[in-house]
Parts: sequence; structure tokens; C-alpha cells
Amino acid sequence: MSVLDYIWAGVMAVLAGPEAFSIFGIGISITIMMVTFGFLLGIVIGATPGLGGAFVMAVSLPILISIFGYTPDALLPVMGFLIGVMKGATVGGAVPAILFNTPGTPDALMTTLDGYPMAKKGQAGKALRTAHFASASGDTFSDLVLFTTAPFLAIVVESYLGFAEKAALIILSLSFVAAVVGASPMKGLIAAFFGILVASIGTGEDLYPRLSMGTDFLANGFPLITAVLGVLILGEVIFSFEEIWRDRRSTRAASEFKQSGDNGLSWRDRRALLPYISVSAVVGTVIGALPGIGSTLAATLGYATGQKMHKGPVPFGEGTPEGVAATEAANSAVSGSNLIPVLSLGIPGNVSAVFLILAAESIGGFNPGPSVFRFSVNEVNPELVIAFGLFTTMMIGNILNWTIGGQFMRWVGIMARVPKRVLMPMVFLLTITAVYVQETDMLAVYFLLAFGLLGYVMRKIKMPILPFVIAFILAGNLETAMRQAFAVSDADPFFLFRSGTSIVFLAISVLVVIFFSRKQKQDVAMSSEVS
Amino acid sequence: MLSRKTELVLGAVFLGLGLVVVFAWAPLDSETAMIETFRRQTTMGDAFLPTVAGALMVVCAIVHLIMNYRRADLFDTENPPIDGNDLAFLLQLSGITALSIALFYWAGPLAVALFAQGDGSETVTYRQMRSTYPYKLIGFVMGGFSLVFFTTALIEGRVKTIRIFSSLIVVAVLIAIFDLPLDNVLLPPNGDW
Repeated sequence: MSVLDYIWAGVMAVLAGPEAFSIFGIGISITIMMVTFGFLLGIVIGATPGLGGAFVMAVSLPILISIFGYTPDALLPVMGFLIGVMKGATVGGAVPAILFNTPGTPDALMTTLDGYPMAKKGQAGKALRTAHFASASGDTFSDLVLFTTAPFLAIVVESYLGFAEKAALIILSLSFVAAVVGASPMKGLIAAFFGILVASIGTGEDLYPRLSMGTDFLANGFPLITAVLGVLILGEVIFSFEEIWRDRRSTRAASEFKQSGDNGLSWRDRRALLPYISVSAVVGTVIGALPGIGSTLAATLGYATGQKMHKGPVPFGEGTPEGVAATEAANSAVSGSNLIPVLSLGIPGNVSAVFLILAAESIGGFNPGPSVFRFSVNEVNPELVIAFGLFTTMMIGNILNWTIGGQFMRWVGIMARVPKRVLMPMVFLLTITAVYVQETDMLAVYFLLAFGLLGYVMRKIKMPILPFVIAFILAGNLETAMRQAFAVSDADPFFLFRSGTSIVFLAISVLVVIFFSRKQKQDVAMSSEVS
Repeated sequence: MLSRKTELVLGAVFLGLGLVVVFAWAPLDSETAMIETFRRQTTMGDAFLPTVAGALMVVCAIVHLIMNYRRADLFDTENPPIDGNDLAFLLQLSGITALSIALFYWAGPLAVALFAQGDGSETVTYRQMRSTYPYKLIGFVMGGFSLVFFTTALIEGRVKTIRIFSSLIVVAVLIAIFDLPLDNVLLPPNGDW
């Protein structure tokens, strides 16, 4: 098969896949339906303060697997849904930020700076249209960069990297994530090694499951989805419970302003915003391609860059559309490029990517990483077809975003009124139910609660969660790569230092940690982990 | 960043954990050591990964301890990360969760024992009835309702009548999502019986 054949096969896997229903005799594929459903749900959830795309991705994954099963046919509908949620939540986060000064997702915090003043001036409609235009532009640009970059990067990695280099690359990624997420690189590294340690329990190649202390309940290790949902989602839920419990006596009513100003967004307005959107889209795409750096930082840098460029009559921070555009283009441009390390290296760089990897690992038949992009001519590489299918679902998401996304996001402003104190207990039950239907064992629920408590404690002691989760997911791959590298090196104790490339990767790992340890960092990065 | 004292305690805890892993847990609780030689073939044993992870945790914990020991403390006024209020909250939440899980697990079997014994000629078990309405849902409804309702009451600091309805609605929605359309899905606790 040629490259074009693979691309076409991927497109057709989405468009002509299993049919959900038909309209006037034209079949609508189930993947398209799931992307659409995920996208709309993502906007609703993004517009709900306290929830983010990660919540939906987490709790819907076990449900979707129960519905679609563990067959390769399930990959595109399930992953398409998750991609739809990811895109929708990015757009939806701006809604409460603009209307009620409450960011729906942490990366929309900077949107409040200009979006809310615009709403106060009676220009909420214009602010929402600006946010949508910038968000859709940034997201589309980022996806195009993903489509062109990921295959080439994967081919390079697959051609030039052996087992030792791949192990060193995983170590570099973990070091990078540990160093950049959170306030202290040392705590990030401790979290990562702790994640590897926990992932080691009940696994290994011997008959006796290591570190299981001879118990039956640890003998099979911790189910991947249960552990990740526990630390990431339930930990956040318990943390939110405690925050609400502490603030339970304070009541803050969101105020509304009469909308009477200029609420349209003409082509001329859009042209004027393009320089800000372009620069922020590049900033967001670059930031998104680096593992561990969240969209919150991208939004901050995009806003700061836009502020330097701005020469208009209304300054940044006082309700200018350029401020909204600069922020939204940057945080949305993260969503495509953060899949570059996932698809080309198999390394999840953020929470959304974690759930895509979990979906692929749970369903089977698709192992994100450099081997996906093997353009085999004589036989079909089904993983490559799936990869191009995923790119197609992203483009469908973008089309939905450009067509119905703007209108839909203006309808869901009401979600910002749903109180978090009512929603969070529902998420608690939903998470428990989702894990149970996947594992059908109360032991999984007990593990979930234990990991939830761990996630809560880690948040309290300001230990970053993402390095723990990514290390937990990658521990198996790291061990396999190290075992193979050790075997092919004839048991050389310096098996990781036998090639220049792996030495460079390991040296960069150390340098990254030293660099970020010397640099005073702010705690703000913590908040970007779940949403 | 937490206060200097708290960070030092955290460093010491992870230093202790790392040392336990390296010198006790990994070597004593793995079938093969870090490096194994079997029939003149040397391979990596099961103890390798946890030992390396533990050793690197020790190194990072020591660096963390040194950095915090030497730092000029700007966070002295910060509260401890987990105080008495947090513990009180966690205790209450744990109680609600334990009650709800007990209801999840036992409400169905209890209902069968009380109401589904027929003419008494043969004992009916919950396992026999776990696919039959209403027994299959009793545990989930009672456990799910108590989890949502009591947690909401806890975090709001008061009991509101309207939350009874919202809690029942969310349980009903979950049943509609999981139980009605999917034959192969078992709601808690039916997979355990």
C-alpha cells in the first residue's frame, strides 16, 4: 500500500465504518456519531466550572469499552469520542470565563482577564464569538502540525533508535515531565519513581508476582484504568469536596450584565485578530508538543505575547477582543500537538493523552508509538490505518467546531450555573460505577478509593500527579526496553551508555532536572494537570 | 512549596520508603534478584526495576532534604498540608463512603433474605436473584443514593430536601445508562455475587 492508500483507508475507516443510523438512505458511521457526541458533551462539560474534559474522558472510557467491547472495531468510535471531548472542552472552557468570570477549565483563567470585562461592557456575544474563532483556528493549526510532524518523527525514532535509546528516551520524557510539572523537580522525580514502584507491584516475568507480599489481592497488580482514575479524578474530587466543605458558608452569586453592546464579529474584526491568533497558535503548538507542559502555561505565554504586540485603544485586561483571542488560540493549539509525543513516541505528555493511551491499551490492536507509522508496502499495517482514522476524526472535530461549535457554546452558558457542590458527589458515584462495570469486582472499587486518597494526599503535599501517572503507565514499556537492551548488550552493566544517542538523552535528562531545580517556579502549573 | 519543616518531613518519609524498597521489600519479595544468571545466560531479574526506582527515590529524597535544609524559609506561616480539619473531613467522608459501600454490597442480599423466600421450601440466594428486578438494583439504588445525598449534605453543611430528588435522579440516570441498554454490564455489587 502506498502512503495515499493508507490515508484513504484511514478516512474510509471513519466515513464508511460500521453504521449507526441512516438519514435519507445515507449511512452515518458510528465513529462520526461518537465524535459529534463527544464534541458536544465536551463543550457542555467545559462550560461547567469544576469539571473538565479529563473528567468525561476518565469516566466515559470504561462505559465506552463496556458498550463497544475489546475488538479493533471499537478503537475509532471510542478514541473518536475522546478526541471530540478533548476538542469540545477546550472551546467550552471559555464560556463561564467570559460570562461569569469563572474559568470552566484552568487554561481559561486568562480568558477571564478580557472576556469578563467585555461581558460587563455588554459585549459577551462578541467575546464568545472571538473565543470560538480563536480557539477553532488554534486547534486546526495544531492538528495540521500534528499530521505532518508525528509520522516523520516516528519514522526517525523507529529507524535510528534501538532498545537502549528507547529506554533512555522514556527516561528523558519522565525527567522532563517531572521537572516541569509542579513547583519542585525533586518532588516530581520522587512522584515518578513512586509511580514506577507502584506499577511494579504484582507484575514482572517470574511466576511469583513481585512485591505482592504473598497476598492474593496484590498478585494481579493494580488495574491501569482504576489506578489512573483514582489518582487523577477521584483525588481531584475529594480535594474539591474538602475545598467546598471549607468554604461552605460563603455564598457567591454570579452576576449578569445587560448585553447591549456590539456583539457581532465581522470579517474585518476577524482579520484584525489574525496576527494575535497566528502567534498564539504557534506558541501553543510548540508548548503542547513538549510533554508535561499544560495548556495553562500556553495560555499565559500567548496572552503575554499578545500583550506585547497590542497597540489598540483598549489595553489588555480591560476588555479587548485581542486578549481573548491570544489566550484562546494558545490554549486550544495545545490539544493537537500534545498528541505528537503520544503517536510518534508512545509517551503521553498530558492528561488527555493519558486517556487516549489508556483507551488504546485497554481495547488492544493499537499501540501508540513509533511502530504505528510503518508504511509497509506488501502487507497492510492496520495500526497505520487507525492512526489516519484518528487524524480523520480530528478533522471531523474541527469541522464540527467551525460549523456548530460557536452556536452551541453560546447555548451552554447555563451550565455555568450548575453548582459544583451538587456536581462533584455525582462525579464520585459515576467514577465508582464506571470502574465497577469495567472490572466487575468490588476490589477494584477499593483500589479506586485507595488511589483516590493517594491523589488527594499528593495534592495536599503539592506533589505533582502527572509524573506519577505517566511513570505508572510507562513502567512496563521502560522495563521491557531495558530488559531487551540488557540482553542484546550481553549483560553489559553500562548497557544504557553504549551509544552516543542514549548518552545524549540521559545527559539531557539530568540537565533538564538541574536547570529547573535552579529556576524558581510558581505553583500555578499544578492546577493545569487534570483539565 | 510547603513550609521547610513539612518538606523535610516529606523528604525523610520518601527516603525511608526508598531504603525499605532497596534493602528489604524488592530483594525479599521478588523471585529473582536484580541480575540473574541461569544456564550461563545473564538476564535482568524481577527485582531490578523496583530496586532502581527505590534507589533513585533515595537519591532524590536526599537532594530534596539538602535543598530544603539549606533554604531560607519564605513559607513559615503556611499551615501544615493536612490539619485537624482535614482529618475531621476525611473521617466523615470515609464514614459516608463505608456506609454506602456496605449498602451497595448488602442491601440486595438482605432484601432477598427478607422478601424473596417464597413458600419457604427452598432458600433463595441473592446470586439467583441478581438479574431480577427489583433485587438487582436495590444495592445500587440505596448505596448510590446514600453516597450522593450524604456527601452533598456533608460538603454543603446542611440537609436540603431538593438534594433527595437530585440524588435519586442521578442514580436513575446511571441505571438508564448502564443497566437498561447493556445486557453484559453488571452494576455494583452484582459481579461479586
